Amino acid sequence: MNSIEVKDLHKTYAGALVPSLQGLSFAFPEGSIVGLLGPNGAGKTTTISILCGLVKADSGTVKIFDLPQDAARREAVKRIIGIVPQQIALFPQLTAMENLTYFGNLYGFKGASLKQKITNYLEAFGLEKAAHKEVRKFSGGMKRRTNIIAAILHDPQLLVLDEPTAGVDVQSRSMILQFLREYNRQGKSVLYTSHLLEEAQQICEDIVIIDEGKLIIQGRPEDMIRQHADCRNLEEVFLLYTGHAVRD
Amino acid sequence: MLRLIATIRKEWLLLLRDKAGLALLFVMPVVLITVMAVIQDAPFKDYQEIKFDILTVDNDHGRLGRHIREGLGGTGQFNVIDTLQGAPLTEAQAQELIADGTYKICITIPKGATGEIVSNANKIVNDISKRMGIPAQLPVKAIASDSLAVQLYFDPAAKKAFKSAIRQALDNFLTQVQTDLLLERIQMQLRSRDSSVHDTFPTIRLKAVGLQETMIGKGKQIDVISNSVQHNVPAWSIFAMFFIVIPIAGNMIREREDGSLVRLKLIPGNYLSILAGKLLFFVGICVVQFYLMILVGLFGMPLLGLPKLQLGVDHLAGFITAVSIGITATAYGILIGTLFKTPNQALNFGAISIVILSAIGGIWIPLEVMPEKIQLIGRCSPLSWGLDAINDVYLRNGNIRLILPDIIRLLACGLLMLGIAARVEQRRIS
Ligand SMILES: Nc1ncnc2c1ncn2[C@@H]1O[C@H](COP(=O)(O)OP(=O)(O)OP(=O)(O)O)[C@@H](O)[C@H]1O
Ligand SMILES: [Mg+2]
Repeated sequence: MNSIEVKDLHKTYAGALVPSLQGLSFAFPEGSIVGLLGPNGAGKTTTISILCGLVKADSGTVKIFDLPQDAARREAVKRIIGIVPQQIALFPQLTAMENLTYFGNLYGFKGASLKQKITNYLEAFGLEKAAHKEVRKFSGGMKRRTNIIAAILHDPQLLVLDEPTAGVDVQSRSMILQFLREYNRQGKSVLYTSHLLEEAQQICEDIVIIDEGKLIIQGRPEDMIRQHADCRNLEEVFLLYTGHAVRD
Repeated sequence: MLRLIATIRKEWLLLLRDKAGLALLFVMPVVLITVMAVIQDAPFKDYQEIKFDILTVDNDHGRLGRHIREGLGGTGQFNVIDTLQGAPLTEAQAQELIADGTYKICITIPKGATGEIVSNANKIVNDISKRMGIPAQLPVKAIASDSLAVQLYFDPAAKKAFKSAIRQALDNFLTQVQTDLLLERIQMQLRSRDSSVHDTFPTIRLKAVGLQETMIGKGKQIDVISNSVQHNVPAWSIFAMFFIVIPIAGNMIREREDGSLVRLKLIPGNYLSILAGKLLFFVGICVVQFYLMILVGLFGMPLLGLPKLQLGVDHLAGFITAVSIGITATAYGILIGTLFKTPNQALNFGAISIVILSAIGGIWIPLEVMPEKIQLIGRCSPLSWGLDAINDVYLRNGNIRLILPDIIRLLACGLLMLGIAARVEQRRIS
């Protein structure tokens, strides 16, 4: 079974002149950890928003574990998918504990078991001392880590992360990547986007490179490098396919 | 249910951390109603308690002058002034003071006025006695002068209603003095005929039938007179309750901007239950606000020497009114928070629209004293429905039946605004 199956997605935002997605298709098997890569504006966030039902595609289909993402099944999909948005989706004036307790409550968890779960995750992400500090006073890395915890409280089968390592230091990044590997090892599927190709090369079994809303290439990072004799690493493969022009 | 309670808890925590919001919701209204009640105390008294200065020039030095002075002074509405720097006021001085606008009214009592009245009464008594076969005894002036009149001088700026009130009062005093004197003369005449009458003759009552004022409300009998506290405390409480649109709209726009709304939408379960939690919380805050203001009206106002707020008889009706106003105000906040993109836009629009709705809705000055056309527009303001319902309960001792039309208007308006907000939000997702 595929964890994600995207077929011929098209999307042009209302009022936009150019389409954000134009016939994007890809699929990943269950239990894999994959990278969705592409330059700025390639359509990564748009794809993720369609995956989780925040944005409606103009045409094309999305299946999550064979469940079609449509109005009727949106709720069911939400239960099996965990999303870490590109922006920090937390209440800045609430503490980490208050934020996570609230989101846990909304998922239907409560009481001591929820508190225990939050405490465990805060410890795993090195945030136990900051549990009762307001999120607005957190560093960028602390916010990113809390943002991830908020997405995994319901133990989703598929975890989708939009640039979880953007703007964080080496230590935080290493902790986040370590967690993703760990989570994947428990049999969960992970899809994440990043602009750090070295990082993707390190942890992803499979990667998809998209540009201008279209699939450019999909495959295992090692294979990609091997197939292009003149490329020493993933970054060079990426530049080969997407060019050197700066996006706007 | 868990979602609802969790949301209320979350909103509570957010509000606790928002010191400016707390001040806006609880401190500002207390200051506002206190200031408004105090500064509007005098204008309200204008119609009820304020004293007008009246100059009197008494050239008569008799009973009529005394009676007029005492009568006017006794109503409590007038300040009778008959001396200027220790010396009795002269007609020329008085005319000057009226002409330059220092005083609005002057009454001069002509020389010999009382004598004229006595003479007239004597003449009547003599006349009656003669017809009854009793010899006439009382002295009568040879020639009655019919040019004697109590003179009234008014400042041209004096209001018509004010002038006619004074004229009527004086007319009343003149009649009374003349009747009193006449009755006295009759009594005197009877006594002189039969000395035994002296002890047993009953005092003649002037007024066989009196006049009594009672105000009737739609509910029971009214025993509260509208005053500054009675108008300003409920009116500005409603105004303050509507100001909740500022924190609500800010809260919603911030949620959209800082991304937490995205997280809320990613979590399975109806977003409506989260919205309902928000609604419940802010309605609760509105009701707390309302009763805080009521407490200020009950205990704070008397400390400032102002009247105590009267709450009518049906407290449940008062509570229902507060909840209904809270629902409409909160719904308005949710609508503004949904429609506007930035907190600044929402703040400006929200604040200005409430000021306008309150001005036309009779919050600043009662609707009743506005021109008819403005009243018609004013009756479309939700704030006027709220104020009307509260006045029904507090001033007219009304019950739930009486306020029902206003409550239905408030709730229908709230539901409509929530419906629009929900539609707009739904269209945003797709
Ligand atoms: N709400 C929106 N309305 C209009 N256009 C949008 C909207 N969101 C994204 N776009 C456009 O769609 C295209 C794809 O944007 P998207 O955010 O999906 O790219 P991305 O790959 O996530 O980029 P980045 O790496 O910078 O995050 C861009 O051209 C962007 O300008
Ligand atoms: Mg993006």
